[in-house]
Amino acid sequence: MSGVIVSLISYILPLFALIVLIRCMRSMLSSKSQTEIWGYIHKDEGVALINHWENLIGRSRSADICLPYDTVSRVHAVLIRSPKGVWRIFDIFSKGGVWVNGDKVQSTGSVVKDGDVLNLAGNSVRFRDISEKQRDAIEARRTMSWKKVHPAVTLMFLSIFQALLLIENCVNAESEYLAGIGLGFVLLILLEWFCYFAMRSIRRTGFEVETIAFFLSSIGLSIIASSVPEEMIRQMIIVFAGVVLFFVLGWWLRDLDRTKKLRLPLAVLSLLVLAAVLVLAESQYGAKNWIEIAGISIQPSEFVKVAFIYVGAATLDRLFSTRNLIAFISFSALCVIFLALSSDFGTALIFFVTFLVISFMRSGSIATVALAVTGAGMAGFLMLRIKTHVAQRFAAWGHVWEDVYDTGYQQTHAMSAGASGGLFGKGAGNGWLKGTFAGNTDTVFGVMCEELGLIIAICAVLAILALTFFAVRNSGHGRSAYYSIAACATASMFMVQVALNVFGSVDILPFTGVTFPFVSRGGTSVLACWMLLAFIKAGDTRKGASFVVKPPDAKSRRKKEAEA
Amino acid sequence: MKKVSLRASFALFMAFMMIVGLVVYVVRYIQHGEEWALYFDASTSGCEYTLTDRNGTVLAKMGGGGKYYAEDANIRTACYQLVGDYVGNVGTGALQSFQKQLSGFSLITGIEEREDVTLKLTVDADLNLKAYEALNGRSGAVIMCNYRTGEILCMVSSPSIDPMNPPETLPDGAYINRCISSTFVPGSVFKLVTLTAAIENIDDVYHRSFSCSGSLNVKGVNINCTGVHGEQTIEQALANSCNCAFGQIALELGPDIIAEYAGKLGITQQLKLDDITTAAGNYDKDSSMSAAMAWSGIGQYNDLVSPYAMMRLVSAIANGGTVVEPSLLGVSDTKTELVSADTAQKVASMMNYNVVYKYGSSTFPGLNISAKTGTAEVGDGKPSHGWFVGFLNDEQHPYAFAVLVENGGSGLRAAGAVANTVLQAAVK
Repeated sequence: MSGVIVSLISYILPLFALIVLIRCMRSMLSSKSQTEIWGYIHKDEGVALINHWENLIGRSRSADICLPYDTVSRVHAVLIRSPKGVWRIFDIFSKGGVWVNGDKVQSTGSVVKDGDVLNLAGNSVRFRDISEKQRDAIEARRTMSWKKVHPAVTLMFLSIFQALLLIENCVNAESEYLAGIGLGFVLLILLEWFCYFAMRSIRRTGFEVETIAFFLSSIGLSIIASSVPEEMIRQMIIVFAGVVLFFVLGWWLRDLDRTKKLRLPLAVLSLLVLAAVLVLAESQYGAKNWIEIAGISIQPSEFVKVAFIYVGAATLDRLFSTRNLIAFISFSALCVIFLALSSDFGTALIFFVTFLVISFMRSGSIATVALAVTGAGMAGFLMLRIKTHVAQRFAAWGHVWEDVYDTGYQQTHAMSAGASGGLFGKGAGNGWLKGTFAGNTDTVFGVMCEELGLIIAICAVLAILALTFFAVRNSGHGRSAYYSIAACATASMFMVQVALNVFGSVDILPFTGVTFPFVSRGGTSVLACWMLLAFIKAGDTRKGASFVVKPPDAKSRRKKEAEA
Repeated sequence: MKKVSLRASFALFMAFMMIVGLVVYVVRYIQHGEEWALYFDASTSGCEYTLTDRNGTVLAKMGGGGKYYAEDANIRTACYQLVGDYVGNVGTGALQSFQKQLSGFSLITGIEEREDVTLKLTVDADLNLKAYEALNGRSGAVIMCNYRTGEILCMVSSPSIDPMNPPETLPDGAYINRCISSTFVPGSVFKLVTLTAAIENIDDVYHRSFSCSGSLNVKGVNINCTGVHGEQTIEQALANSCNCAFGQIALELGPDIIAEYAGKLGITQQLKLDDITTAAGNYDKDSSMSAAMAWSGIGQYNDLVSPYAMMRLVSAIANGGTVVEPSLLGVSDTKTELVSADTAQKVASMMNYNVVYKYGSSTFPGLNISAKTGTAEVGDGKPSHGWFVGFLNDEQHPYAFAVLVENGGSGLRAAGAVANTVLQAAVK
């Protein structure tokens, strides 16, 4: 009887996974441009809209406000609105210079007010700010087509998915763990609905990013239930803490000014932490990355990942300054060197690729070449430093079947177990790979394939890709380049992790032993994933979607409500 | 912001690479999924199965969390390469090759967990034991099948080990099943190939007289014979295993025809024993018509053959030219015509003549046997490989066999004796 239930559920589960994933993707990607309007530039030929808080002005077609006059430089000036609504213009090394009402703009920038005349290398345009009232009117007209996919229905499908997973796990679990497994899944379902209603109560209706994270978390929870059922409650507490941190960081990111202020202290702190790890950490399986504080072992490099993106992302005015970029390169280099010294090869690689993404987004194509060289130098150092370690992994790469009991052990077992699950899996709790070394972390893709089937395992990878498409799609609509860069860098970091985890364990890439975001068992890594998610959430400027983005009319609406 | 947005396409490129990676994985899964899944899974999952010989003697048993082999240590050793082990050391072992039958796999549902699967092999473990004992520590191979049904009754490779108590130093090649995975210099057993080609290509071969003065001079190089045989018919030449006669025939046929027959008769092909691929033999064409060409028709030069291919060839001859493809899993329904019935009958009767007039029927008491010996020179001053291949003319016991004793010396004395021991046990 129980066998029939499990096999029946095995066939239904992928269907629900696909529904959840497709609904989230439709919701995130189907809507048309949702650009906000923040002001106008009156030119001779007509009016240009100011769609962002940060705008590049120049002759280049890729400038946000294009002034196609010969004297204007390709990238000439940057016009930036502060969170408090004050506009400033910066001259970014233009040939012709910038004047506001006849006064030359210095490197620190000049304040621009409604009606001011901006002179760019002899070409005058008039700047018009927008009043709160106008903004209210414009905001009200913004399309909301994405709401066609109702988030509550998606969440309901997810809850059914989780309930089915729970049943499967219960059928296969030993009776002493039933209570823990049941409680864990029920708490997860309660938590996601609580978050949903909390968002509704503050009129935020975008819930796809969270849904995807909860989807991945439920797969992770199922693997915990299957491999270490005694840790169910612990894992639920970690997920809960992760969600709290997600909201805290998201709330913090709302204010770009305070966000920017914390960058330098955070950079210093990150380096100190990594240095401390080097001195204090216990060596575990070759990598020296664990610190034990008050009986709890944590992996500080996971938190530094969050800090790395926090520090690495930059506002538009800083994108065109080499000095800022050099500071970031030095910071990255130090991070990677510290990680290399701790022999934490996987994390070093993740940092390195994220560094490439951030520096490309900051600098554009030409400088990237130089940066890649810097990067290659760093990678070279890395390889030399941990030569034996790396050399061994590269030697096994592509030849894992030749040594299935030593260098190819984890990969071949993951591939074998993964393939044995077929498309629908053997059922949660029914596999054997979970029992092998680091089965629920390094080779978690194999466990997913084995127990839940290839379809769900691919859905998990696609879920991360969905976050990426969402971040890229939003990058053009963001208020600040800071949010766009942070969101894309986060998505890239997730992708690198997934690529190393999945393709490493099936011998398409060398095996490095990194975690699959949200799915792999772990404390610090799960917390870090939820925090990173806040960056993706911050890039979402659809109307009333993200709690990280302050509605432009917040103050006036509050005032209106008070009056009423 | 437009610039930032354009640069974000970097992330899209990474996403594209991820999709490429997933496609690569799915393609590999389709190609190798079965291989991967069965590599460890049957021995790690909850599969329960029993592998027995044709009489129900347990050769391997998995279930209840344990893995077992045959109870008798001697049977474990005699059947080691046939059965393989749970670690997968013998790639062609039944535990590896018949995972599909034992545990089941499909790309859609993955491993099928079945309980109480019993797989009965056609081999008789007691015959294997007799054969292994008859080899008496010498390296070699014994393989025998029923040429009417294709069932393989005996398959032994020596040296062997007891998988439950493996020795610290592994005997040379103990993980290899010499019957199917190794090839050896055939020596005179290859004359069956040359003979078949001669019957079908030299019209007056039955009316010729082949003269032997103890050696044959080919372009200044002497091919030595085992004796001075004088004037012989083709029957006598085969019975004498006369190198001079077969050297002349080989030169007359030429390398192309012999190569064609070596291929047609399965000597140089990779054959399939159920799902197991066997080692292909070798025949190098020497077009210079030198002594090397002559030697290549006598089973020397660069000729190589597996015991399995030799057994398959003689079982085709015994079965009227059509081989019932051998199998370890039961009565086979696949048949392949290797030679015409007429040719097969002619070769068969000459092989019987060998035994009656040359080897001596008394060497094989009570058996009506047709056979060919081979004493293959291996060089380096080592003793020759002894071969004995043939079949019984006995509808009650229609057995074809190939026996090889490495460095055993005379084919008749070394391999013939082993064959006799096994056949006597088989017809009992």
